[in-house]
This record gives sequence, C-alpha cells and structure tokens, in this order.
Amino acid sequence: MNAVVIEVNRRSLRKDVPARMHLGDFVREEGRQTGTHLGCEHGVCGACTVLVEGRPVRSCITFTSACDRQSVTTVEGYDGDPVMALLRPAFSRHHALQCGFCTPGMLATSRDIVLRLPDADEARVRLELAGNLCRCTGYMGIVNAILDVLEQCRGEGVPAVSALRAALPRPDGGPAPQRKPFRTFTATDSGTLAAAAEAPREEAAAPVSGTRGGTNIQGSFTVPYPPGTVWAFMTDLPAVAGCLPGAELSEHAEDRVKGRIAIKFGPMSASFAGAARLERDDARRSAVLKGAGQDSISKSRANGDVSYRMVALDDGGTRVEVDLLYSLQGPLAQFSRSGLVKDFVARMIQDFGRNVALRLDPERAADAPLPSAHINAFGLAMSVIWSRIKRLFGRDG
Amino acid sequence: MKAALFDYTRPADLQQGLQLLAEGAGDTKPMGGSQSLGPMLNLRLARPRAVVDVSRLPGMREVTVEAGALRIGGSVTHAEIEDGVFPELRGTLLQTVAAGIAYRAVRNRGTVAGSLAHADPAADWVLAMTALAARLEIVSASGKRLLPMERFMLGAYTTALEAGELIAAVHIPRLGADARWGYTKFCRKPGEFAEASCCAVFDADSGFARIVIGALDGAPRALPGLAAAFAASGALPSRDEVQAAIAAAAPGKDAVDRKLIAATLRRCLEEVLGHEKESA
Ligand SMILES: Cc1cc2nc3c(=O)[nH]c(=O)nc-3n(C[C@H](O)[C@H](O)[C@H](O)COP(=O)(O)OP(=O)(O)OC[C@H]3O[C@@H](n4cnc5c(N)ncnc54)[C@H](O)[C@@H]3O)c2cc1C
Ligand code: FES
Ligand code: FES
Repeated sequence: MNAVVIEVNRRSLRKDVPARMHLGDFVREEGRQTGTHLGCEHGVCGACTVLVEGRPVRSCITFTSACDRQSVTTVEGYDGDPVMALLRPAFSRHHALQCGFCTPGMLATSRDIVLRLPDADEARVRLELAGNLCRCTGYMGIVNAILDVLEQCRGEGVPAVSALRAALPRPDGGPAPQRKPFRTFTATDSGTLAAAAEAPREEAAAPVSGTRGGTNIQGSFTVPYPPGTVWAFMTDLPAVAGCLPGAELSEHAEDRVKGRIAIKFGPMSASFAGAARLERDDARRSAVLKGAGQDSISKSRANGDVSYRMVALDDGGTRVEVDLLYSLQGPLAQFSRSGLVKDFVARMIQDFGRNVALRLDPERAADAPLPSAHINAFGLAMSVIWSRIKRLFGRDG
Repeated sequence: MKAALFDYTRPADLQQGLQLLAEGAGDTKPMGGSQSLGPMLNLRLARPRAVVDVSRLPGMREVTVEAGALRIGGSVTHAEIEDGVFPELRGTLLQTVAAGIAYRAVRNRGTVAGSLAHADPAADWVLAMTALAARLEIVSASGKRLLPMERFMLGAYTTALEAGELIAAVHIPRLGADARWGYTKFCRKPGEFAEASCCAVFDADSGFARIVIGALDGAPRALPGLAAAFAASGALPSRDEVQAAIAAAAPGKDAVDRKLIAATLRRCLEEVLGHEKESA
C-alpha cells in the first residue's frame, strides 16, 4: 500500500492505495466519481481520459501512486471551467452524444484541442480525436461541436478561454527557422550495417503467411552430425525439451509429454503449461510435434504444430528444417505482431540448434551446462533443467 | 483486467533509485510514464515484483548542451518536446517526431527513455535516435556508460540494458545550420504503431548522412549505400536502387512489406529535398 494525497475535482483525498490501483479505479472507487468510464484498460480507447494537472491522460494506464500530490479533474469536476461551459451545450446542439460512454473522455480531449490548437481545422480535429473511440455518433457531431467552440473562441472571443490558452507552455513564437535548400556533399558517416550483421540470420525465418487460421514461420539450423544421429535425438522428447530454452517436462510417456515452457519476450513473460504429442515418420525422418498450452496468469492460449525434417548435407552434417504453425489468443496476442514473433522464433530456433549441436558433441560431458540463451531474457538456467529432466526419467544424459 | 500485485517506490533522487534497482535483483523495473508498462501490467504480461518510478527524478527531466551534444533527460515527456518547452529542441526533427507519437493523452506521460527501453521495433524514438546517431547514457549503482543506439536494441523488445540499469539521458550530436531531415511513417490509423517508417538526416557541414528504416521485425536498419549516394547527388534513387537497399537491410520482409517501406522511404527523401508533402 502507498499513502497518497490526490486532489480529485478540488477535493483533497488522503488514502492508502495498492500500487496496482490505476487512476481510473481510484477516481471511481475511492473518489466516488463514477463518470469516468473504463473501456479497454490498455490505453487505446480513450474512454478513461481525465485531466491530471490540467492535461489529458489515460487513467487506466496511469497508476494512482504516480499521481501523489497532483490534481485530477474528471467529468464531474468541470463546473466553472470556461471551455466546458461552451463544449457542453455545443455537444447537445450538435448531437455529439448518444449512449454517452465515450463522452467523459471525449470532453477531456475536446477541451485540450480547444485550448492547445486554436486554429485547428476539421482534419486536425479528427486527427486529435483518433485516440478516442465512439461507437455511436460517427464523430460527425463531436467534430462539429469542437469546431463550433473553436469558432466562438477565435481571437479574443472568449477572454476566459484566451487566458487559459496564454497560460499553456508554448514556443516563444517567432517564425519557424527557414530551412536552407539541400546541398550535396560527400558523406563521411552514412550509418553502419552493424545492426544487420548481428540481426537474425537470414535462413532462420522465411516470410510469414497466414494459413489455416494460424501463422506459419519457417526456419532451419544445421548441426555437424549425420541425419540418423540427429533424428534419434530429435525424436527423444526429454532431450529435445532439454535444448529448448525455458522448457521443463513434468510427464512423459512414449510420444506424449506434459510440461511447461517459460518464455520471456523483452518485458513480457508467460509460462505456458500444456501437453504435446509427437507424430513421427521414421522413414522420412520427419515429425510433427502438436501442442497446446495456456499461460495461467495472463490467460493467453497458444496452439502450435512444430514440423521438422532432417536434410542430409554434402559435408556429412544435417540441416533441420523447422516449420511452425501456431495461433495465439488472449493478451499476449495483442503485443505479438507477426513480424515480432518471427524474430523471436528465429532466435529461439538458433539457440535450440546450438544446444542440439552441443548435446550431440561426443567430446562434451553430457551434463555440462548449456550456455545461456541468446534471448537474454530466458531466465532459467539450462543446467538446472537438464539435471531435473535426467532425474525425472533416470536417464544418463 | 487489473495488474498483478507489485510494490511501488518513487525515489527522492537518482542515487536512491539506482540503489533500489540494484537491490531488486532484476525483478524490479524502472517506470517512466507507464504508457507501455501500464498496458502490460494490466494484461499481466509483465509481472515485476516492484517498480521504481523515475518519471520525476530531477536530473532526468532537463535538456542541456554538453560538449556540443544535446543531452535530453530520460524522463522528458513526448509532449514537453512537442510543446517546445525546451528551447534547444524547437524546430528540430525531435519536435516533429514527438508530435506524431501515439495520442496527446499518451504523450503527456510517455517518456523518451521509457520508449527506448521498451524497444518496440515500430517506436518512433527508436528510429529517430538511430538516425541521429544518439548515444544513451546508461547508469547503474556501479557506474555509467555511453552506448550508441546501433548497439542498444538487440531485437524486438530486447535491449542491451542489464538488470539494475537505467537510461538517464540521450546524447545527440548537434547538426549544422543547414542540415536537412525527413520523417515519414505509414500507420493504419493515426496514433497506431507504424507499419513502415523512415527517418533520414543529412548534414553537409559534418558529412553526416543517414537513411534508416524502422517498424521492422527487430532494430531499425541503416541503408548506408543509399544515404551516401543521395548525399552526393541530391537525386531521388531509382525504384530498383531502393528495392535492392531494402532487400539487403530487411531480408525477412515479403514483397508487400517491401513496397510499403519503399513508398515510405521515397516520401521521406522527398521531404528531405523540401518537396511539398502530399496531402493524405
Ligand atoms: C495507445 C498507445 C499508442 C501508442 N502509440 C505509439 C506510437 O505510435 N509510437 C511510439 O513510439 N510509441 C507509442 N506508444 C508508446 C508510448 O510512446 C510510450 O510512451 C512509450 O513507449 C513508453 O514510455 P513510458 O515512459 O510510458 O515508459 P514505461 O511504460 O514506464 O516503461 C516502458 C519500459 O521501459 C522501462 N523504462 C522506463 N523508464 C526507463 C528508464 N529511464 N531506463 C530504463 N528503462 C526504463 C520500463 O521498465 C518498461 O520496461 C503508444 C502507447 C499507447 C498506450
Ligand atoms: S480504458 Fe483507458 S484508454 Fe481505454
Ligand atoms: S456516444 Fe456511445 S460511444 Fe460515443
């Protein structure tokens, strides 16, 4: 709990709040100002927009503790505000509100537009409203109401509004510096391709395509051992799990496994518990691992088929071609644009391939710890997992 | 959904903040404006044990000029840069970029360091700071280091930041008086993350020429050959030259994506040359 003193609509509230309480819940539950609406709770709909120190902010992704000793204004607190005095009747006149769910956020945003952008035209008003979703009005009425108020405030039309505008931080005027015409020159620094050199290996991930309701990612890795050896390893599920960063098996019976895989994708972490079944085709040295799992905390669900096949290389080594078909549902899916997942999977395949090669290396002790994953975020120590797997199945490396 | 439980501390000064982060052993996260961390906490995708609020730390809220470079405190907000609160940043590429990030309500709280640390491949600061050859001032309880942007972002949402480290500021070399730049992004809807983006900076005085594309699968990529040729000729590159440069820099992208990047890049270079922006 954190002690906060926050002024809500000019009334000072002194409360102990949990750190996880966002400002939207604070004004509604502790401040009893229930006009603020929560829609998406991740910043995209704008319904929860309130003023903090006079500026619009998203109350769903602003934590109450971070607003200690600041002032908050919700839709209930605009009495005496000269801009609202104009916006409210304008919203009525122009039929700018229907169900009213978006209205508290729309008003906070509209007030900001009127103050900050005195010269806004329709295009600009629409641009500024892009972060506030309205399901009912089609925006026509809202845009017209704002343009109407802007018109009323032209010049010194409404002195009280002019005074508020004058108090805003703004550049000290003066014309924008005149930009000189482009002059040609010989570049001495044109950037480096350093980033490209370190970037995911090209062969690691082929273009993503949406098929059969899932996303498809292809990649491959090579190991310097013959296909037969690699195949034997790749169909040994505990061995495979031991090379997969973050994976941990809890049950194993023939070609079925249960377990969990902890993934960290930058700041995001999830731990999918699930089951998988291996369908193998020994003649072709190819297999499909079909799995499904759920992250117990974010409730994200993942389904995936990992197909892989061994391709003999001229130098006696093996290329393992991997084809992942997956679908993701729930919160994690919102942050996982396909390109990003592709990048992540590409790194995962490379780490996995490297681990397989290390495990197959006869020169190496079977229980020597594997190096930590390239994806620096995989927090789990591979050696710990490996020894646990061995203990579980009583295997000798 | 509501965030999982975590502790919140707002340290009085940087030293105390770094101490808290060091003691947190990787399970404590800095928090700027919470505009990216907030959604992830609410969706329970991020579950730190504790957060250290660095948004009001004095040394991280100012812009100064040091050794010919601009030093922008990490907790400076997008809106402050947009509004021209800091005279040094008025009329610069940074002001333009700031004004185009997300929505005003998000810009009012989101910070430069938070955006860089979050390392979304489509984030505006990640692209602009790469094009400007910025260096990050990274501090921890045990010291300070300056890291060039090119070595900062390792992949989507993945950076070179170690546990306990904080981006205290961003250092940007100052450009000459006739420097030219362009910044173009393609978004499905205003305020949404870009599907393709390009930032180009040309400074005849210092010989600095960069064309960088963003919104890729990982970090932004420079197109050095194209940049050097454009600096020397001042002529828009041909379609084939653009396609070849993009294919080399972003090999994983399909034909549709490459076309989008090419169109964005072309508009960006037109902006550098001062051609009127096509109206949307
Ligand atoms: C609806 C919406 C639309 C958006 N659209 C865009 C867009 O178009 N373009 C764009 O670029 N961004 C966009 N954003 C993101 C926005 O720019 C955020 O402000 C920014 O990414 C995060 O900044 P923050 O200060 O809020 O960081 P936080 O959310 O507080 O933190 C983000 C991450 O950075 C870490 N961190 C914070 N401060 C520091 C520090 N000083 N040092 C080290 N690590 C730190 C945190 O631990 C966390 O991992 C959008 C956000 C929303 C909600
Ligand atoms: S509820 Fe806050 S933006 Fe949707
Ligand atoms: S009036 Fe119903 S959502 Fe806008």
